[in-house]
Amino acid sequence: MLAWSCLLAPDFTPVTLFLGGVGGLLLGLVLVRGLDDLLGSALLLVSACYVVGLFVGRHPLDEAAPLVGAALLLCSELATWSLEERRPVTTSRALRLARARAIGLLVLAGLVAAALVLATATTSLGGGLAWAVLGAAAAVAVVAVTARLATSR
Amino acid sequence: MRRADSPRLVAYAGLAAVGLVAGLAAGRVELVALAAPFALAAALGASLAREPRIAGRLTLDRERALEGEDVQATLELRGTGDAARIDVVLPLPDELVAKGGGNPVAIPAGTDRVELRLGCARWGAFRVGPALVRAHDALAFHTWEADVGVMQPLRVYPSVETMRALLEPLETQVYVGNQVARTRGDGIEFADIREWTPGDRLRRVNWRASARRGDLWVNEQHPERNTDIVLFLDTFTDVSLGHRGTLDLTVRAAASLAHRYLQRKDRVGVVSFGGFLSWLLPASGTKQLYRIVDSLLQMGIVLSFAAKNIDILPPRTLPPRALVLALTPLLDSRSTAALVALRARGFDLVVVEISPLPFVEPKRDELADLSYRLWSLSRDAQRAQYERAGIPIVPWTEGEALDAVLEEVRAYRRHARPARA
Repeated sequence: MLAWSCLLAPDFTPVTLFLGGVGGLLLGLVLVRGLDDLLGSALLLVSACYVVGLFVGRHPLDEAAPLVGAALLLCSELATWSLEERRPVTTSRALRLARARAIGLLVLAGLVAAALVLATATTSLGGGLAWAVLGAAAAVAVVAVTARLATSR
Repeated sequence: MRRADSPRLVAYAGLAAVGLVAGLAAGRVELVALAAPFALAAALGASLAREPRIAGRLTLDRERALEGEDVQATLELRGTGDAARIDVVLPLPDELVAKGGGNPVAIPAGTDRVELRLGCARWGAFRVGPALVRAHDALAFHTWEADVGVMQPLRVYPSVETMRALLEPLETQVYVGNQVARTRGDGIEFADIREWTPGDRLRRVNWRASARRGDLWVNEQHPERNTDIVLFLDTFTDVSLGHRGTLDLTVRAAASLAHRYLQRKDRVGVVSFGGFLSWLLPASGTKQLYRIVDSLLQMGIVLSFAAKNIDILPPRTLPPRALVLALTPLLDSRSTAALVALRARGFDLVVVEISPLPFVEPKRDELADLSYRLWSLSRDAQRAQYERAGIPIVPWTEGEALDAVLEEVRAYRRHARPARA
């Protein structure tokens, strides 16, 4: 992701690297010291590195944005799972597989939602960004309602 | 149940909000696309917040066990279907070990029974439970914790050392037992013959002796009587290294002695002489053994600097003609003074010195060496006090058979009998 951000804005590579580096350092701290409270800040900094590349790079539209968002979510979920696995709890293989499946589904759903947002925004429906936000909110609401219904059975 | 939310849920919601607002403000749809997975995760997390109603019952397959034995703990759970994963932990004292490594354990939804094998590593009176359960949703966005089951008592008795022979008290009591009395009366063991007197039973006539002497002579026997044993435990202080220590050895020795003496129908009592004074009046039988072992399990060191002597003991705790077996680490002069006073009152007394030396690691500097030597000298002085009073004292170290130590006393008592005032 850092490489992709650098590619988006080659002139601002030091800034991108700095932000990404600090974000990576924080993520390392989260993993090494188990400071899961810092996870949000780490994600924010890594996202900022991408955002800098996005704004400075002067690209009209980055189609990789859904992938970046999904990758960030996957990174966060795996980091959290890694911290949880450090607890001395005897876990069965079936439970690990179930967690992996849940994370996979979440990331995939996130990727689909983000792609939907991007697709909605790029389609000329006469709206633009407001439509995109509305579309994202609708997508999220649908998934949430589905999940709620699935769990309340 | 106590609910806790993962900090990443808040982080996801924050990132989603920042991304959406920034996307709107800057007019860049990529920011919205970047935030969408996090917004979805936050929404999903909120929708998964459904509290499971987990309840259950904790049971142990027995309340009493011997050191080294295993006890099965069973946790029956209800309402586990609402959570994706449940972590179960049974908090255990250091003396109990979960065998097979299943504590804590994660169980999938719908599991209604968790079994745990507990190894009783050391004696003691313990409380097992309640178990702690932590339920997670599928993505661990929320956790719910609760205590399940009620506390179960578990008494782990110290293992009893095999002892072939015991110390015989000098005098017996009046009740029937296994000990051959020195007195003469009705019994099995032949003692002597004497001339017939009116009232003697016919079956006691020794016909061979009577024929030889031309007069009636009868046999005399030693009756079988019980004895009274008082285990006098010095609990003023303790020297320990981890779980091992003088108090641990004292309890083990006392349990072994009480078990063996009660087996041969003697009456056994216990006096715990220390910062906290406790006693059990001498009695016999299996119930008394349980009483003694239970009291030993509760035994602990209570630091006290109050002067204590033997007069504070109720009179019935030390019955006349009882053998007082004292177990002391020779660390407190108050117990030495009390025991010497007991001997002065004519009690048949034997002291087993529970050696604290294996539990002391002297440091290698001059001051530590000097203090160690001073401490050794003070112990020697206490030992000399016993010897001057004619009290047999034998050291017992960890790993040595108690039987061998008592044999030394037995040999001593064959040659040196205490004088009666």
